[in-house]
Amino acid sequence: MPNALHIIVCAGIVPDPLQTLEPVTNPTGPGLKNEMVLPSVLDPWAASALYEAANLVAKNPGSKLWLVSLGPKAKLQQVMMTIAQKVAFELVPIDGPLGGFADAHATAAALADAITAIQGLDRDKLLLFGGWESATRGAGITLQLVGERLGITDQFQGVDQIDLHDDGSFEVLERVEGGKHQASVCAGAPAVLGWATGNLPEPRNNPQIGMVNMRTVMPALQKAKPAALAPNGLKYVSVSLPKQQRDTRVVKDMNSDEIAAEVVAWIGAE
Amino acid sequence: MNALSQADGLGEDVRQTLDVDIACAGFGPAMGGFLTTLVRAWSVNPADPAFESAVLPGMPLQVLCYERADDLAAAVSGVVTSARGIRGSFPDFKPEDVPMSAEVRDERVLYLLDPIGASRRPFGMRVADSVLRALSRAAGVKDFAFELPWTPAFLHKNGGLLLSLGQFNQWVASKVMETGLVQIWPGTPIAAPLMENRAVTGLRLADQGVDKHGTPEDCYLPGMDVQARLTVVGDGPVGAVGQAIDDALGMPRGHAHREWALGMKFVIELPETAERRLEPGTIWHTIGYPEPEIFGFLYAHPDRLVSVGIFVPSWMHDPSRTAYRYLQHFIQHPALWRHLKDGLLRSWGAKSLEESGRQGEPFLCGDGFARIGEGSGSTNVLTNSGVDEAWTTGVQLGEAVIELLRAGKPFTQENLTATYAARRRASWVEHGAREAEHARGGFQQGAVRGLIGMALTGLTRGRVTMQGPTPAPWLQMRRTEDPKEKLTRESAVRLAMEDGRPLHDALLTARGWPEIEFDGKLLVTHQDALLMGGKVQASPGFADHVFFRDLRVCAACDEKTCVAMCSGQAITLGSDGLPTFEREKCVHCGACLWNCSHSMDGEHSNIAFQAGSGGLHSAEN
Amino acid sequence: MDWSGMMDSILVLTHTDENSALTKASLEAVTASLELAARLGASLSIGIIAVDPAPAASALAATGTRLLAVSGKAFAQPRYASDAAACEALCHAANATIILAPSSSRFARVAAGVAHRLGGVIDTHITAIAGSAQPEATRWFYRQRIEAVVTRDSRPWFLLLDSGTHAAYSAQLGTANFEHIDIQLPALRTTVTGVRTPQSDAQTIRPDAELLFVAGAGWTKKQPDGQTHAAEAGEIILNFIHRTSASLGSSKSLVDQGTDGAPVLPFLTHMNQIGQTGATPRHAKGLSTCCHGEEPHVVGWRFIGERRAISLDPNCGWARGKADVVYIADAFKVMEKVNALLAQSK
Repeated sequence: MPNALHIIVCAGIVPDPLQTLEPVTNPTGPGLKNEMVLPSVLDPWAASALYEAANLVAKNPGSKLWLVSLGPKAKLQQVMMTIAQKVAFELVPIDGPLGGFADAHATAAALADAITAIQGLDRDKLLLFGGWESATRGAGITLQLVGERLGITDQFQGVDQIDLHDDGSFEVLERVEGGKHQASVCAGAPAVLGWATGNLPEPRNNPQIGMVNMRTVMPALQKAKPAALAPNGLKYVSVSLPKQQRDTRVVKDMNSDEIAAEVVAWIGAE
Repeated sequence: MNALSQADGLGEDVRQTLDVDIACAGFGPAMGGFLTTLVRAWSVNPADPAFESAVLPGMPLQVLCYERADDLAAAVSGVVTSARGIRGSFPDFKPEDVPMSAEVRDERVLYLLDPIGASRRPFGMRVADSVLRALSRAAGVKDFAFELPWTPAFLHKNGGLLLSLGQFNQWVASKVMETGLVQIWPGTPIAAPLMENRAVTGLRLADQGVDKHGTPEDCYLPGMDVQARLTVVGDGPVGAVGQAIDDALGMPRGHAHREWALGMKFVIELPETAERRLEPGTIWHTIGYPEPEIFGFLYAHPDRLVSVGIFVPSWMHDPSRTAYRYLQHFIQHPALWRHLKDGLLRSWGAKSLEESGRQGEPFLCGDGFARIGEGSGSTNVLTNSGVDEAWTTGVQLGEAVIELLRAGKPFTQENLTATYAARRRASWVEHGAREAEHARGGFQQGAVRGLIGMALTGLTRGRVTMQGPTPAPWLQMRRTEDPKEKLTRESAVRLAMEDGRPLHDALLTARGWPEIEFDGKLLVTHQDALLMGGKVQASPGFADHVFFRDLRVCAACDEKTCVAMCSGQAITLGSDGLPTFEREKCVHCGACLWNCSHSMDGEHSNIAFQAGSGGLHSAEN
Repeated sequence: MDWSGMMDSILVLTHTDENSALTKASLEAVTASLELAARLGASLSIGIIAVDPAPAASALAATGTRLLAVSGKAFAQPRYASDAAACEALCHAANATIILAPSSSRFARVAAGVAHRLGGVIDTHITAIAGSAQPEATRWFYRQRIEAVVTRDSRPWFLLLDSGTHAAYSAQLGTANFEHIDIQLPALRTTVTGVRTPQSDAQTIRPDAELLFVAGAGWTKKQPDGQTHAAEAGEIILNFIHRTSASLGSSKSLVDQGTDGAPVLPFLTHMNQIGQTGATPRHAKGLSTCCHGEEPHVVGWRFIGERRAISLDPNCGWARGKADVVYIADAFKVMEKVNALLAQSK
């Protein structure tokens, strides 16, 4: 089958966006207050990558999907209980620390090692997926570093769409400045795609998929290898919460005509 | 395994089935106790043949737990507990292991005077108030609060624990899940139990891909039937599974769900002022304000966080009962405000409490099922304690299940009665529940009698009580007959319909309570509390879980208490005067279920509360 | 490699647009590099990637710094393999220990890979660089919710600067010599086929706009008459955008409504999303309409200067210190009137 793909999705877990986040200083460096008990979700952009990957796998028989994720085992399992109900995948967990303050180079090294160790992975079919940024570090570099470590030199970032052609080549739309997309055609795998939001809705929770996934997810989690992340000379001079309070003027007693006039004047004011 | 395609291609009528050994409904403290006990024995030797699956021979026991909320730590509930059962399971428990936990250090009961004059106080209480005001300083009244010089032993939680239930649940869940032996699925509402005659054979998950009314649309995915040898029901006081089993089997003679309360609380971060410190582990129980029927509490957690809340009971017969606005007046009582002023609202939450205690105990077990936790009537209504009792019933079932697995016996009514029910009947949970059984009897005749009744029950260990009949919740609501009050209510309802003003706000303002002066940090609108305190998760594709059985009854209803009591303003008055429900605001507190003042069949109120996904996902627990 | 205590040499990477002019973001990075080099007393080179580097070199002549260029048709469009090779060659030629570049989509795609090839490290989305002995870079974590200052001993150290954080370099055009850096391009497996602009009626975030206009979920919710007016809302919004050339953003709740069968504004997609899982654009002014101003949404406003909001709720998040002015009013009425006034003034 020319288009059987081996898709690997790298996805971190991040604090649920609704949580209150406060920085604290740990012996190992900066962290978040109560980080281990903040509810976690799959990184939103990586989640788009996962749904797009599942869609490709469903349309291309013989394809395989792995989800590689680094985080504390217990947190990974909690997040997987939700994600595993949405798409079928094989989990490659790495038992490591949480958080956005870790060095991306160390994270990338751990991910690349885990990917290299995957049995039966065919580099000629490999599409490496992930988010183009994360909701923790938000640096947008980890995936590129993993790609470089795997020697993949066709990389795309801010991807919103991929269209596979019969000859194994594919077209990619990447977000560029000015709300535009750059269109490229790549001769085929291997390639790295860092996803923005894509165009697919989040799949519903399907308990059946969840059950099938769990038969392999649970044992994989039990066997997750621990990884320590070296700081690579990264030092934090300071970590702080921004002060964003403004002195708000609340206007209650103007009619809409008066407000409109004021707004127009404000827009026009240089 | 990767060959499994997405479920989109499923036919209309394909309802998937899954065979498991043990299916569990709901993840709360009771289920935490059950699963902790089970995996602890099992993980000693995961290959122990006693824990081999009977439905998938050669595989380990298949234990699945389904929880409607989108996360196991989404709930907001502060709890002070003697922690007898919890410490039994975790003898080395250290409060620093779980955020917001503390040892109970200082416990007080405060009688709060009304500094405003809007509270509806009965004669007895007005006399007490006058005496206290007259003796003011001599009696030790400070900030309109009188600390009871002596508190009965049954209220003491000294040596116990102060917990955030959300944090505690998450901690327990991670300990259970790191064994890899059981699965806890969040975001998975259960529609109903599967039943054959009087036996429970599993759980049916909620349909997906349906409209508000449950009609299939595109991507229809019928809820899976999870067939189980044992179904463990721990879905709380308003859980769909528990309700359905009660409907099918009825209740034991003389038992009914009659007494309820709505607990609502804020988590507040205190300002950094040394002179107003509240030491972690400080516990206040309050009576007397904002209304005589409303009990309140303040718990001081570490890191300058406090939980402050009130309980609004079903025996507050006033149809203008509400919670959010009362909570705002409560925190502004001088005794509390002294500490809370300039504080910051961190999160917020609400929950119905089943306060019938043993009188609300359903059939604890039957063929293929067992019930644990609050929905099984484990709450002690005298000591106002429920979490530790719920936990302990879970532990007892866990021990019973291990015993039956080792003996190779089936989960029949007989075997569960001999193991689970027997353990429960012989335990401190049962003794406490029996002592407390009639503790609340006096409240139907008013707050003062109720308090006297509680004291008598407590002091005589349940031998002397003030018993009285407790009518069904919809009969506990007083119809509005006083013409003046009728006018007040009518004008408030008009405001709510025409100006979109929340009904609870309009009602209390009409009652003479001063307007709340918002500060944007702690005193905020009801909707802001929802937004600042987290977010309501309401997954699309599920049917609405709250509906009005007969809208003609709603049209003729004068009380509209469902609207005033709705914790998230999810039930509002439409322009046609009929209540409407918006799932995006529902925090799943269940108050509507027992705050409806009408019943068509004498069994159920006119509001149905079923399985729904999501609920309030708090910003902090 | 650990570089502590040794003298730094700085390279700033720039690229041109389709007209062979340096992009604004590149010129901003030049400004930042001039400041940093002066402060550290470090040497500075400027690297140019362009089809024809001459116009860019002329624009940079006044800097008086060493100019290096990689040029040719292969660089007409951004592409990982060719751009990475170009950046790698420039870094080698400059023997740089600190490499600055704009966080443009072009450099964001390749810089991490290049850093890895050179055995170096990288930090992106830098909003400020302080420090006189050692660069101390400010960047945001957790979607603009936590700000941190980082520094590194390892070299080469790549720093990608967010646009809008420095003034664009501008000076008299001059004649400048630049050094051609020859490179061996690897086999190219990717062909750039073009740029897709959104359809003419689609509106997006325009980074260069003065004003950001954000539409919240209130536009498609039931209005006081009990009905939804999505079509009318769409007309009002597009009319306003058309008249002001404002950048159009939306709250996540408005974009998500489409998946829940609620009425939608068809011209809004996740590309328009501002906030937690959307963009954090930089504009001088922002006007929010029908949005409640919750925290996950407002983090996307971190870099909006003056903020005003129109909301029916006097207690919305905007009124609590998140905006400068909040008008308690019906946005439908106000924006209709605004459009009418704008029409008159044109």
